[in-house]
Amino acid sequence: MNEAMEMLSFGIRIAEPFIALVVVIMCFYSLRGGRREEKALIVLEDAENESTYPVIYWENSIGRSKSSDIRISDPTVSRDHAVLLRRNDGWFVADTGSRSGVYVNGERTVGRSPVGVGDIISCGSTSLVLRRAADMGVKTPQKEKKTVPQALILICIMLYMSLLTLQGVINTGKPDIVLPAAAFTAVMWIFYAVSRAVFKRRNFELESLALLLSGTGIMLAAAHDMKNGMTQTAAMVLGIVIYLFMLWFLEIPDRVMKWTVAISVLTLLLLASTLVLGRSLHGAKNWIIIGPVSVQPSEFAKIAYIFAGASTLDVLQTKKSLASFIAVSGISVGLLVLMSDFGTGVIFFVSFLMIAFMRSGDIKTVILAVTAAVLGVLVMLSAKPYIADRFSAWGHVWEYADDTGYQQVRSLIYSASGGLFGVGLSDGYLQYLFASENDLVFCLICEELGCIIALLCAAVIGGMMIYSRGVTTRSRSTFYSIAACTAGGMLVFQSALNIFGVTDILPLTGVTLPFVSYGGTSMAACWGLISFIKAADERTYARHIPKTKKRRPEKTEPEYVEV
Amino acid sequence: MRNTRSRSFPVLMLTLAFFAGLIYFMVNLVTHASEWASMPYNGHLSDSTGLEYAGEIKDKNGVVLAYSKDGKRLYNEDEEIRRACLHVVGDDSVNISTAIQTMYRSDLSGYNFVFGLGMPDSLKKGGDITLTIDSEVQRAALRALGDYRGAAIVYNYKTGDILCLASTPTYDPMNKPEDIETNEAYEGAYLNRAVSATYAPGSTFKLVTAQAALEKDSEAYKREYDCTGGTEIGGREINCYEVSGHIDMFGALRESCNAYFAELTVELGRDAMTAQAQKCGFGKRWKFDGITTATSVYDVSKADENEFAWSGVGQYTVLECPMNMAIRTSAIANGGVCVIPELISKMDSSLADKLRSDGKSSPERMMSQQTAEKLKEMMDDTAANYYGKDYLCPELDICAKTGTAEISDDGTAHAWVTGFSTDEDCPLAFAVIVERGNSGYQVAIPAASAILSAAARSYRS
Repeated sequence: MNEAMEMLSFGIRIAEPFIALVVVIMCFYSLRGGRREEKALIVLEDAENESTYPVIYWENSIGRSKSSDIRISDPTVSRDHAVLLRRNDGWFVADTGSRSGVYVNGERTVGRSPVGVGDIISCGSTSLVLRRAADMGVKTPQKEKKTVPQALILICIMLYMSLLTLQGVINTGKPDIVLPAAAFTAVMWIFYAVSRAVFKRRNFELESLALLLSGTGIMLAAAHDMKNGMTQTAAMVLGIVIYLFMLWFLEIPDRVMKWTVAISVLTLLLLASTLVLGRSLHGAKNWIIIGPVSVQPSEFAKIAYIFAGASTLDVLQTKKSLASFIAVSGISVGLLVLMSDFGTGVIFFVSFLMIAFMRSGDIKTVILAVTAAVLGVLVMLSAKPYIADRFSAWGHVWEYADDTGYQQVRSLIYSASGGLFGVGLSDGYLQYLFASENDLVFCLICEELGCIIALLCAAVIGGMMIYSRGVTTRSRSTFYSIAACTAGGMLVFQSALNIFGVTDILPLTGVTLPFVSYGGTSMAACWGLISFIKAADERTYARHIPKTKKRRPEKTEPEYVEV
Repeated sequence: MRNTRSRSFPVLMLTLAFFAGLIYFMVNLVTHASEWASMPYNGHLSDSTGLEYAGEIKDKNGVVLAYSKDGKRLYNEDEEIRRACLHVVGDDSVNISTAIQTMYRSDLSGYNFVFGLGMPDSLKKGGDITLTIDSEVQRAALRALGDYRGAAIVYNYKTGDILCLASTPTYDPMNKPEDIETNEAYEGAYLNRAVSATYAPGSTFKLVTAQAALEKDSEAYKREYDCTGGTEIGGREINCYEVSGHIDMFGALRESCNAYFAELTVELGRDAMTAQAQKCGFGKRWKFDGITTATSVYDVSKADENEFAWSGVGQYTVLECPMNMAIRTSAIANGGVCVIPELISKMDSSLADKLRSDGKSSPERMMSQQTAEKLKEMMDDTAANYYGKDYLCPELDICAKTGTAEISDDGTAHAWVTGFSTDEDCPLAFAVIVERGNSGYQVAIPAASAILSAAARSYRS
């Protein structure tokens, strides 16, 4: 490699993190700026004393309980009396097992019944009249939403990918890497076009973030072996198809709810079939091999598991028991342990805790579950003490540099060798280690692309979670809120296991880094997981709103409401 | 839905913990990066990789021992100097683990946290390292050890500066012998014996036994004994080289009477002997400038009475690293407090310089000042009245003790001498081992003498 080329490669390495940083900042700025303002959608007016209750959310609990969204201080109202919810075809009220029942215009309701403007909803001795927000003086400021042109984000990603490609070509001296990069870019633009034209979705921030991570992973894989880069790109296409299908399926929460039992059973069948048919690769018996394709069904089981746990507010408030969900979770974790897939097992368990707490707010269940898990682990360790050997090097890997700490020691050394900007694609040494592109990928990025990009990748996943939490009250149903938080939490927890395992902060468990790690199933499943986050974004399903609406400020009726 | 939001708080906490973990990793990376990158497992710095643009290594007089030119690592033009300094400087490989080029390769190669090792070659600027050694003294050591295997250490017991740290067998780093792995002559050539090997200390250990006695009773040097050429302890013989007759401790050390010190050992008991050995550095690793010495061993927990008696004269399973011997001798020269040696006098990288001093062992008091004075008197007496001061080194006033440590029944023995000069302008402590030299007096002393003369010239010219 001559000097000029070397300098060019060096310059590119310094530029890349800044472009990646710009992409990440634009995406999160736009995600945040595009969120719905939390103003009243409709207003409930007390028929007797004219006090008003603004209805802010898509699903609102009505009751005497302090934590109710619409709190009525009336002793005849139950603690969790009813749920007032909004769907595409209007507003509904659902009795959630109240003692005195829910009446609409004097008629007792069973299950969900539609309510419109002027209708009187009676709970206990309180009667509430449904009013338009505008009629009650709630202003709808037509404030400009702070978003970024989505195509600009994509152009930046394209620039980032071009620089990676150029660097790859210079460093490897072979043009091979252009192929997966070109394929990636084509897929990205087609995905964007389909998303806009077919599904009428104007926002593409979350997808852009996932594309940035996927692209980084594809280039790392391609720099070491072009074929791997192509496989990874194909997996991303599969992931995008799953993602789009999931978004279609998730559109109507009540339809999804009808499927949850079936999906729960599917989760268990998926895991059970893996246990029976699965082959053992690298320690864990979690692979199913069909011809040339090998898949890890447990990755997809993660998606299915979220369906089993998330729920709309009226169902949450009616069926408070966690028994069936605990059963599904317990069996799932048990099956995963039997497969020796401890990494996924731990992820399932943490997801269980997240869902169980978000559903019930019951800290006792959580403590009980954690206690049971700790006991379970202790029993397992005493029965099979060799498992503890896997953790023997934890915290002092340097003493086990050629033994159980082998991977961590090399990972740390090579992370340090990369500095802020890396030594360049395919110029590193960590790539020669086993599992460098999946278990050790964080340190591989540190070495070859520098720790700024590595940290950005981690920050993107953390940011997705923070965003998921930011939209919990803005989403169209608690189903989405719970699902998005759990999916985000899963991704964060999995990233933590991956990154901190290899850097000797947590014991190593060998899970993948979402989107970035080489591995088709993992890539596809991660796209599936973020569809829950996308579904929680209210704008995702806003396509039926005519564009002209914006130009008619005199019509102050809240968007989407067809009452 | 507000409930759902507040119940998502633990998930938020998980995420914050994740970010905290990332920060923790970054802090770790920033503070340890240079150290991690210098690890010998680093492929970027193995073989000649990473040395193409590395900085210079110089001796105390500015003689360049290693440098890089046109993407190549080169060493001093004098082949003898190259061989003499090999174990200190190192070669292109990372085989000599205690060599400067192995331990500080990332600093030499211009490692910095911002660019890691990823700087283009044309922008690389390696850091320089100046050592405390004198290449001429190293040369003298190489010649003095000749065809023997062994090691020589000379260092200033006031400042800690190492003037000589030599080990044989050695080889030329510019023409590494191809048969180094197979040829017996090069067996252990990658080892710096001065810091990484241990040997039976033989009679030099009598200084520790004498110290134990003097620490217990300051009048112990008056203890008298009639040597008949040996004694019987625990049912078996403890033999001497000669019949010393009526002696006190001065005489016993001078004539190296085994029987005297064996009886003394048994009288002191295992606890006192073990405690005193530990004070003298047995059972620990000394750390300085990135080097960690081999552990010297004094373990008499499983010894029978006779074996325990032998341990007091440096036999049985007692093992000592030459560097430990030099350090414990420095304590005698220095009023009872040992001096930690130093190999590097200056480094370009201030961070590496700081890290280097962080891990350093601290000086310890090994004996009382009174004991140190008495041992000094005895070593002076031994040097003056038994070895002969001129024989030891005509340019310096040397106090010394030899050792001839038997390693097999046919009389093969390692030859030792340790001691120090009392000259104000040349305060040097030393330890020399000649493997299979068979006689401390006949082989180790002449070797040490030549090295010390060179050291005196180095200080006085």
